[in-house]
Amino acid sequence: MKKILFITALGLSVAFAGSVAPANNAQYQKECASCHFGYQPALLNKASWEKVMTNLSDHFGTDASLGKVESEQILNYLVTNAGSGKITANNTTMQITKSPYFIKEHRKISAKLIEQKEVGSLSNCMACHTTADKGSYSERAIVIPNYGRWE
Amino acid sequence: MKKTLCFILLALTLSHAKEFNAPMKAYMEGLNAEAKATNPNFTGFDAKRGEALFFSKHTGKKGTEMSCVTCHSNDLKKGGQNINTNKPITALAPSVNVTRLTDVAEVEKWLRRNFNDVFAREGTALEKGDVLTYIINQ
Repeated sequence: MKKILFITALGLSVAFAGSVAPANNAQYQKECASCHFGYQPALLNKASWEKVMTNLSDHFGTDASLGKVESEQILNYLVTNAGSGKITANNTTMQITKSPYFIKEHRKISAKLIEQKEVGSLSNCMACHTTADKGSYSERAIVIPNYGRWE
Repeated sequence: MKKTLCFILLALTLSHAKEFNAPMKAYMEGLNAEAKATNPNFTGFDAKRGEALFFSKHTGKKGTEMSCVTCHSNDLKKGGQNINTNKPITALAPSVNVTRLTDVAEVEKWLRRNFNDVFAREGTALEKGDVLTYIINQ
């Protein structure tokens, strides 16, 4: 019993140990990452991705509509690889930045550093997480513009 | 002599003429037929009208004033930047970016999305044909 608990705990703790599987789907990269950073599927849970993909014609105020086939294929990729660890816990919104864990991890970043033109908003992962495109959000790889290394 | 000059001029014009590929030509013909059906006096797409449209300002989907150049910049040979996400956009001009205006599905998708974003409605056949005629010559 103790062993099972230990394994479960270990499993939960590695669910988001600063890294997620990279977004290595060519169709997702083409259709979604042409406008914004290709957020890895594991950063939102299944319910969140379903919400996102239900209303692409009004995607945070812009038209990101897709054909029916492409939309279904991308939804399938996203929900198959959706997250379940602490990064997605208690977040059923469409925004990764609304995740309680995400908020906690970014709470010490001053508004000035976020609002500067090199960053713009917390949704611009690559502005500071230099290896975000590889799915790695480790503290060692953080370089904030006009501030430097975070670690 | 005159004949030679004419030939040189023709050759120069041809080498500079920007052409759509076959699927895009078929798409343009479809727009052409649609524009003619809407207006019997329609005589063909016009790059100048397309340019004016590209630079014209409108209240977009988000309720703010914008134009195509808000993201694509006013020099199509240079890249632009997505106004919402800061993500760079590669140049629209086919003269510097050969993949532009070569895939009908891509063209239709972006015209639909971008007309909705900038004009808060879809584009008409006339508008789409004009703006594509403007871009293909860049």
